[in-house]
Amino acid sequence: MSAEDAPALAVRGLGKRFGAAHALRDVGLVVGRGEIHALLGENGSGKSTLIKILSGFHRPDAGTVEIGGEPLPFGHSAAAYRLGARFVHQDLGLIDGISVLDNLAIGAGFATRLGTIRSRRCAESARADLARVGLTLDPRTGVGGLSPALRTGVAIARAFRADAGSPVRLLVLDEPTATLPVTESRRLMEIVRSAAATGAGVLYVTHRLDEVFALADTVTVLRDGRRVATEPTAALDRPRLIDLLVGDEFAVAHAVADRLPAAGTRPALSLRGVSAESLAGVSAEFAAGQITGIAGLTGSGRETLLGAVFGAIPRDGEVLTAAGTRIPPARPDLAMRYGLAFLPADRTANSAIPGLPARENIAVTHLRPLRRLWTVRRRAERREALTWFERLGVRPAEAVDRPLESFSGGNQQKILFGKWLRRRPDVLLLDEPTQGVDVGAKAVLHRRLVEAAAAGAAVVISSSDVDELAAICRRVLVCRQGRLAADLHGDDVTVRAISRECLQNEEAA
Amino acid sequence: MSTSRPRFAFGFDRFSGLYLWALFIIVFGAWRPSLFLSLDTVHSIASEQAVVALLGLAVVVPLAAGAFDLSIGATTNLCAVIVAQLQSAHHWSPGPAIAVALGTGALVGVANGVTIVRLHVNAFIATLGMATIVGAVQTIVSANSQPLPPASTTWSGLTQHEIFGFQAVFYYLIVVAILTWWFLECTPAGRYIYATGGNTVAARLSGVRVGAWTWLSLIFSGTVSGLAGVLFSSLNGPSLTFGAALLLPAYAAAFLGSTQLRPGRFNVWGTVIAVYVLATGVRGVQLVTSVQWLNDMFNGVALIAAVSFAVWRQRRTSAARGRAEPERTDAPPPSEEEAGGEARPAGDEPSGVAADGVST
Repeated sequence: MSAEDAPALAVRGLGKRFGAAHALRDVGLVVGRGEIHALLGENGSGKSTLIKILSGFHRPDAGTVEIGGEPLPFGHSAAAYRLGARFVHQDLGLIDGISVLDNLAIGAGFATRLGTIRSRRCAESARADLARVGLTLDPRTGVGGLSPALRTGVAIARAFRADAGSPVRLLVLDEPTATLPVTESRRLMEIVRSAAATGAGVLYVTHRLDEVFALADTVTVLRDGRRVATEPTAALDRPRLIDLLVGDEFAVAHAVADRLPAAGTRPALSLRGVSAESLAGVSAEFAAGQITGIAGLTGSGRETLLGAVFGAIPRDGEVLTAAGTRIPPARPDLAMRYGLAFLPADRTANSAIPGLPARENIAVTHLRPLRRLWTVRRRAERREALTWFERLGVRPAEAVDRPLESFSGGNQQKILFGKWLRRRPDVLLLDEPTQGVDVGAKAVLHRRLVEAAAAGAAVVISSSDVDELAAICRRVLVCRQGRLAADLHGDDVTVRAISRECLQNEEAA
Repeated sequence: MSTSRPRFAFGFDRFSGLYLWALFIIVFGAWRPSLFLSLDTVHSIASEQAVVALLGLAVVVPLAAGAFDLSIGATTNLCAVIVAQLQSAHHWSPGPAIAVALGTGALVGVANGVTIVRLHVNAFIATLGMATIVGAVQTIVSANSQPLPPASTTWSGLTQHEIFGFQAVFYYLIVVAILTWWFLECTPAGRYIYATGGNTVAARLSGVRVGAWTWLSLIFSGTVSGLAGVLFSSLNGPSLTFGAALLLPAYAAAFLGSTQLRPGRFNVWGTVIAVYVLATGVRGVQLVTSVQWLNDMFNGVALIAAVSFAVWRQRRTSAARGRAEPERTDAPPPSEEEAGGEARPAGDEPSGVAADGVST
């Protein structure tokens, strides 16, 4: 086969194992030239592993990859580049403080004469780079001021820069629209189409089914590391695609949560028209003694909701406690006084104080019972920390004086659970509570949440892990495009129903 | 699990300063026994370094809250000039003059808080600007001529009165050090300040009023700088220029101190020890040779060495943690949520695999 008519990407029999688990099993995939090929799959389906093999980050255990007809040597990022593969990741890797031109030139190099940058020549080539993906931007604009879609466009233009040594054959876009509002993502799709029109194959990873139907020629669906289907988009409709994605496995039994008594009628927390960032007016009530789940794709507002309620980020709208007290926005300290607790996602950035001892991390939320006059009673503080270490099964046990950063991820999360549980909050808000936590720790954390609910707290869990929500929640609210789109109760709470609602198209519904 | 090293082994790490101190005393004691090994040396080092140590304590508190206060040198100098000027030119008695000087120091802290907490200016820039402003105010107050030293014996006795051979200024240092230690280690305020410096976002989301505590820490550093200025003025007489020279030694002591006793944490006693270890070394070398540049050289090298050591230690700790990660049992299958948004650029070297939470 000559390089002229070889497909942009040909993956055959790709397999990759991590320990005993198969991340990929015998996956095959062909992206033609000028084709836009959507790659879909739930979290953990193997998409990331596949992309990482293409970019040279992982080595597969079996299979071959050809880019433009030439075999890809594994484990070298430079090799993928040389063969003409370009990657645009969700984190675009642009530098905000400098201009579009400089962002394009960094890496590829500036045109210079005697060490001085030839600005006009650089601007011309930058304009050409932008035009190739259909962008008409002044290259001297600062990147920081661009809209998210244009920023992604600049990243694609950068990926597409002319390089005589290796013409672009394949563009891999890894969830480029995950954090874009819908209007912005339309703009981006235009850019992607322009890119494909240059003759390169596009592998487009996304969660958004709308985009698949609007943009892709072909769809490949991965589930549990296997390829479930590859079909032309024209032959598919939305329900069929959702079936392919979710499979027909039944939901995990509500074993733990079923032990909870039926929800009381008293709402412990009411939201009225809460808006913030990607949220556009959410109203809901959360009952005491119940575990409520919040589901939704990234960008649906799911990841913003709890932080906005607690005051981690600014918001509009009202948040009321059971007693009818208004919780002021952007004041976590006051929210805590009114009985709220919030465990944010991204442990390292938002909830751990890594250099301080575990003991002080636990104590910091509530020092009043630990102090006498002006002094913190260190012995009481230790005792309190030890109690929570035991209750949550933190390992190494009794190491309460060690800095938090010396514990493993799961144990850190347990410790941070302790810091909030000890306040006995009326409302416990948790964002991705078991992300990056091992199975054993996950079970312990879930049990503590059920206990907290049984003791009368309203527990609200926002999670991208649908299995987790289905397992411990009796009620799940689904966010879509900044609003609450569905309110699932009791037996309706299944993995399948939640996924279906997450992926549902607003217009079609 | 990552760290099962015995905590007390020899403590070359946490107690390195004390070992170094012992080494200085042995070496210089053997070299110049009659000059070095005398109570006079002990007494003079103790009081000469008291002002530097006070400034070290002044910066420890904002550093613990994660803010640099670079205005302390200028504030110290201004307060020293004010307290002298009020007494010699305006014939105030020492008490009110001292109160005004301390108030001035506190006021500088309040002003720093306005720019840093309210206007969200980077602390480095805000306090550097403030230092310049304070310098200008000093020129206004002093009319750029050195105030006469106040004549009263009460004033000079304030710091020079000897108790058990040590000048009073050394006891002031000990009192301030104990109070600062108590404040940082034993009170809720100290907990909140360390939490703020440890991770501002996490502290705020844990209900800590991070702005208020940062502000308070700056008022503390301003006030203690004012006190240091008053004591300097009483001990050595007023000067228009000494303040700036104290800034670096104070930071050297705080950073060196953060590698001692409780590594990785700015702490009171580590700072005090650092001041005196450095001073002992400098004094010893001065007795051996007579070169003039040693003091500066010593402090500069010590600061860089201390911070390098602290950074190296930090990296070693996090490397150990990275190695511990694969023990987690959630490795199979590699959850995509953990792989995150695939933020990893394609150029990442394969060695990152082990840190990816994936057992190899």
